[in-house]
Amino acid sequence: MLPTLNLTGDLVLAERISPRIGKVAPGDIVLVQSPVNPRKVVTKRVMGMEGDSVTYVVDPKNSDESDTIVVPKGHIWIEGDNIHDSNDSRKFGAFPYGLLQA
Amino acid sequence: MGLRNLKQWKSFAIEALNQSFLVAKFLCFLHVTNTYLCTVALTYGPSMLPTLNLTGDLVLAEKISPRIGKVGPGDVVLVRSPVNPRRVVTKRVIGIEGDSVTYVVDPKNSDRSDTIVVPKGHIWIEGDNIYDSNDSRKFGAVPYGLLQAKVFWRVLPPKDFGPLGQRAK
Repeated sequence: MLPTLNLTGDLVLAERISPRIGKVAPGDIVLVQSPVNPRKVVTKRVMGMEGDSVTYVVDPKNSDESDTIVVPKGHIWIEGDNIHDSNDSRKFGAFPYGLLQA
Repeated sequence: MGLRNLKQWKSFAIEALNQSFLVAKFLCFLHVTNTYLCTVALTYGPSMLPTLNLTGDLVLAEKISPRIGKVGPGDVVLVRSPVNPRRVVTKRVIGIEGDSVTYVVDPKNSDRSDTIVVPKGHIWIEGDNIYDSNDSRKFGAVPYGLLQAKVFWRVLPPKDFGPLGQRAK
């Protein structure tokens, strides 16, 4: 999440009310449970909500190819600010909204 | 005379405060139990026939097993729906990460079956009534993080009171 969050660790406050009442929107930084390791909680930025058409660069290290996808119902598309080194929706696909923690 | 009234009111107020503390403590205890230990759920719908009734069963589900990873194939679980995050559905776990799951794609129309390997960190869930169930055959493997609780006991209807089966019929 460089340059927004530091490499060596930031202490942040995250509120848990917005995900419950559905007030999470593109541009928000959120904590989500990782879909590949349920014990891990990652910090990413929301790029698109359900129904949005998201255009993303597939592999910025190797090519400039970009792809467009419609976010399925009940899911969100999240990406790290540092797309060169981030495991996010470009790798795992859209995340279910239920995995949002804060 | 006025002073005695004041004293009565004061003791009344202290008593009321103590009782409300007791109520607050009880509610806290209830909330912690419901969130972390054991929760009650009303299940309805045709997707888990014949295990669960169509018109609704009251079940007890414990929340400890999903946390410590003790959920395996054959368990009936409460899962947050990946298509509607406000909805919690009841299904049976058919496979966990790494398992090779063979399922009938569309039992109403054909006998075609498909095999899939459950990805890491995900589980494959299906309703016992595959003819009328929205489950992993429709929306794919669900992330383990969406697991809410594991059902272990049925309370209502009274004739079905007892532990809920481990094996699918």
